[in-house]
Amino acid sequence: MNDFTIIWKNLFRKKLRTTLMLIAIFVAFFLYGMLASVGQAFDSPGSSDDKNRMVTLNKINFTQFLPISYYDRVARVKGVTQASHSNWFGAFFQDNKNVIVSFAVDPPTYLAIYKEFDMPDAERKAFLGDRTGLAVGRAVADKYGWKVGQTVPISSNIFSQKNGSHSWDFKIDAIFDNSKVKGRDGLMIFHYDYYNETVSFGRDNIGLIVFSTETPAINDAVAKNIDAMFANSPYETSTDTAEAFSKSFIAQLGNIKLIISLVVGAAFVTILLIVGNTMVMAIRERTREIGVFKTLGFSGQRIFTQIVAEALLLSLLGGLLGLSCAVPALLLINKISAGAISGLTVQPIVFVKGLGWMVFLGLVTAALPAWSAMRLNIVTALGRK
Amino acid sequence: MLYQLRNVSKRFTKAKETLTIFDNLNMDIPEGDFVAMMGPSGSGKTTLLNILGGIDKVTSGEVSFAGNRIDGYSEGQLSEWRAANVGFIFQFYNLMPMLSAAQNVELPLMLTNLSGAKRKENVATALNIVNLSDRAKHYPREMSGGQQQRVAIARAMVSDPQLLLCDEPTGDLDRTTADEILTTLQVLNRELGKTIVMVTHDPEAARYAKRTLHLNKGVFEDKMVMA
Amino acid sequence: MANTLRQISAITRINIKSIPQRFWMSLSTIVAIALVVGVLLGFLAMGNGFKKTLSSSGTKDVAILLRDGSDSEINSVVMREQTQLIEEAPGVARVNGKALVSAELYVVVDGKRRTNGIKANMPLRGLDSTGFALRPGVTFSKGRLFRPGTNEVIVGSGLVREFSGFDLGQTIRFGTSTWTIVGVFDAGGSVYESEIWGDVSVVQSQFKRLNSYQSIRAKLASPDQLAALKAYVDKDQRLKLETRSEADYFAAQAKQSSDLISNLGWPLAIIMTFGAVAGALNTMYSSVSVRTAEIGTLRAIGFGGFPTFVGTLIEAVILAAIGAVLGSVVIWLFVNGLSTSSLGGSFTQVVFTFSLTPRIITTAILLALLIGFIGGFFPALRAARQPIAAMVNE
Repeated sequence: MNDFTIIWKNLFRKKLRTTLMLIAIFVAFFLYGMLASVGQAFDSPGSSDDKNRMVTLNKINFTQFLPISYYDRVARVKGVTQASHSNWFGAFFQDNKNVIVSFAVDPPTYLAIYKEFDMPDAERKAFLGDRTGLAVGRAVADKYGWKVGQTVPISSNIFSQKNGSHSWDFKIDAIFDNSKVKGRDGLMIFHYDYYNETVSFGRDNIGLIVFSTETPAINDAVAKNIDAMFANSPYETSTDTAEAFSKSFIAQLGNIKLIISLVVGAAFVTILLIVGNTMVMAIRERTREIGVFKTLGFSGQRIFTQIVAEALLLSLLGGLLGLSCAVPALLLINKISAGAISGLTVQPIVFVKGLGWMVFLGLVTAALPAWSAMRLNIVTALGRK
Repeated sequence: MLYQLRNVSKRFTKAKETLTIFDNLNMDIPEGDFVAMMGPSGSGKTTLLNILGGIDKVTSGEVSFAGNRIDGYSEGQLSEWRAANVGFIFQFYNLMPMLSAAQNVELPLMLTNLSGAKRKENVATALNIVNLSDRAKHYPREMSGGQQQRVAIARAMVSDPQLLLCDEPTGDLDRTTADEILTTLQVLNRELGKTIVMVTHDPEAARYAKRTLHLNKGVFEDKMVMA
Repeated sequence: MANTLRQISAITRINIKSIPQRFWMSLSTIVAIALVVGVLLGFLAMGNGFKKTLSSSGTKDVAILLRDGSDSEINSVVMREQTQLIEEAPGVARVNGKALVSAELYVVVDGKRRTNGIKANMPLRGLDSTGFALRPGVTFSKGRLFRPGTNEVIVGSGLVREFSGFDLGQTIRFGTSTWTIVGVFDAGGSVYESEIWGDVSVVQSQFKRLNSYQSIRAKLASPDQLAALKAYVDKDQRLKLETRSEADYFAAQAKQSSDLISNLGWPLAIIMTFGAVAGALNTMYSSVSVRTAEIGTLRAIGFGGFPTFVGTLIEAVILAAIGAVLGSVVIWLFVNGLSTSSLGGSFTQVVFTFSLTPRIITTAILLALLIGFIGGFFPALRAARQPIAAMVNE
């Protein structure tokens, strides 16, 4: 037997009460794990973007197009090492509720920039050489059960073909993963040329130009040069890092971070109150026993440590269980939504912060009862006055 | 001499009123003694026992244990001193409800540097002495009052302290069980040489001791208080 | 029966009187329940506010025609020729022989949030006087209507509230074009209050969309003429348009977005409910155990098990009710009526206010009472079933 035996047995002496506290803590950290991860995904949507990756958009708004000729001009700007372009396609599969993030791109240059889209060499080769080919992110392929070699009809809620159809047939040549941020692969890409030749309107327009610079240090200068080059032209541009663009894009949804903070805050306040009060009550019930421990020669510090350890154990047990359960829950959400919130996993930082909160909860809830137990007078405790 | 109290006073101040429990009390307890301490409620015998056990402090006077002054000890020093020298036996046993008999007995050994194996051995020996080897795995709620008190005795002696302090050890037990407990204490005194101070109301219990002291309003009514 | 009631009231009184003894424990339960209620109300008020804004935007006697397959104006394109065909369609209301048909341009421009300066999508709608005729609820709170053929625009009051740079008299640049804000309008709390309106022909030329629009709105002679119009449109191969009533169009968008918000709010509230139930059970079990002796004494002098049960249950439900009221009042005071905005169906910001309804509050209070009921039920059972002797002796 050691101190841990005593701590453990103390913790579980009233199983019902401890279980109820564990449930409350579990719930709070489950919520925290899920929401903080969602917040993280929203907060750093561009975390898989290289620091030297930039985008040029129509200055009016990113939904306004740019002429394809601008792409060649951006590619030639000093400091730009590699440029590509993409068009939002408004894709859905069969039912217009099955929206899939998808872009018409120039595949060789696009994949040269988005190196994190990792696919087997043979598949890459097939995709690059196939005008009607489609490269599908793992999350999307998993959701619809698609395999390489399959031909799928993809519809657009924006565009139609010259023949009047809203649907394009694509052959799946490749399935890719995001090698940088796992799970951030809820999208698909196909050849701009195929789209441009068949689309009924908006020919030779592109949505945005994406490019890499030699080094992040020259990002600002390059952006300035590009925007100056197109100033007073029919299509003025706005150039920024891909990361900043993703962030402002997400910010359109509203202040998600605030909402998450409020909900998580509410959950934490709840357990702080419940666990804190219960700890005070539990330790008060043990007053006499603490007196006996002291009589036997256990020091006040040792009892203090035991109570703190008990509270930490409680909050770590409930908290780790809650955080762990957030992992499969997020996977489930990811699967159902086909990676709609891309990169939705419990990131290490969420885990680390969660651990910090558990320790905080344990220390705060233990502080008062542990302090009074340490200071407890034996004679009073034993009722021997 | 194991214990010497010289001019010991104890006063409580409560709500501006000072209550004197005893004033200039003197007492000697030789090694191997078995003292029964009797007296009416409020006579100060419990407070005296608390002071002997180092869980309460004197207001003034000298307290020497085995030649060392302990009245000036800090809380921490007293803790260590109690762990090494004193075993307590209470009226209501005061066992830890969440621990088994063996674990309860082992508690004082957690304050020593003994190895796990050695501890187990000592626990087994202690339980054997109180005749409870077969109850080692039982929890307090599964045992009778007498059995619980025997576990408490095993706990008090497992770390081999010189002094055993008993506060009404049979106060909650029937006559037969009480006699068993008192016999056990007597054995500890005679065969293992433990010094025992026992507070009791029960004249029958006092008969097991070597001598009986009567405390009344903080004053001993006996002549043989000093050696 | 009367006796049972008397017993229940006696026990309830004792329980409630002893709440101060467990003040912090009881308070923590109240706060836990208030927080669950608050979170649920917050989300439901948000969803409802969003829905209210969108669903107040459309009427049944205006048809909206979009390119077949488009769910929203932003994704739609219609050509001038198609507009002309609609003007000749049956079911369309006419004044002095002129069809009340409004072909409108809908482009997205950038605005900046007042709160954090971050860019957000704003809709710029190009329309003409017929477009105004189809929206009779529009009134000017400041300034006047734009003059046709000029770079003047008017802005909705919601947009002005949430986004900077749109105050009366200011000029704004969209790409190379510069516009002057000459009016601020209200539109009955509808989605139009989140829009910028300009003259359709000027917007067309400045945004280089000479022959195209995003949508056609047609005033119907009466709401039941929708079918006639739809039949006409579906038959004509040149049209390839989808015909809906404006009310249906916005209702579908409202449902989509507010469903999303409710679908987030409910799971969160339910998960939190588990935590709150655990807390309530904890409080009530300790309440029962603290009063074990009292309950035992009452039982010993002849109080029944059932009144003991009900008395304990009532205590829990009262705590929950206090929590529910607390949560509702806080949300009512500090959240209800707050203005905010989020992306709507056309991928542009919709400004709306958090809006509580009696129904939403009732729902949340019922949830709170359910927490109280579950939290009290099992401890009450224990209180009622404990053997009397054990209780008295404790």
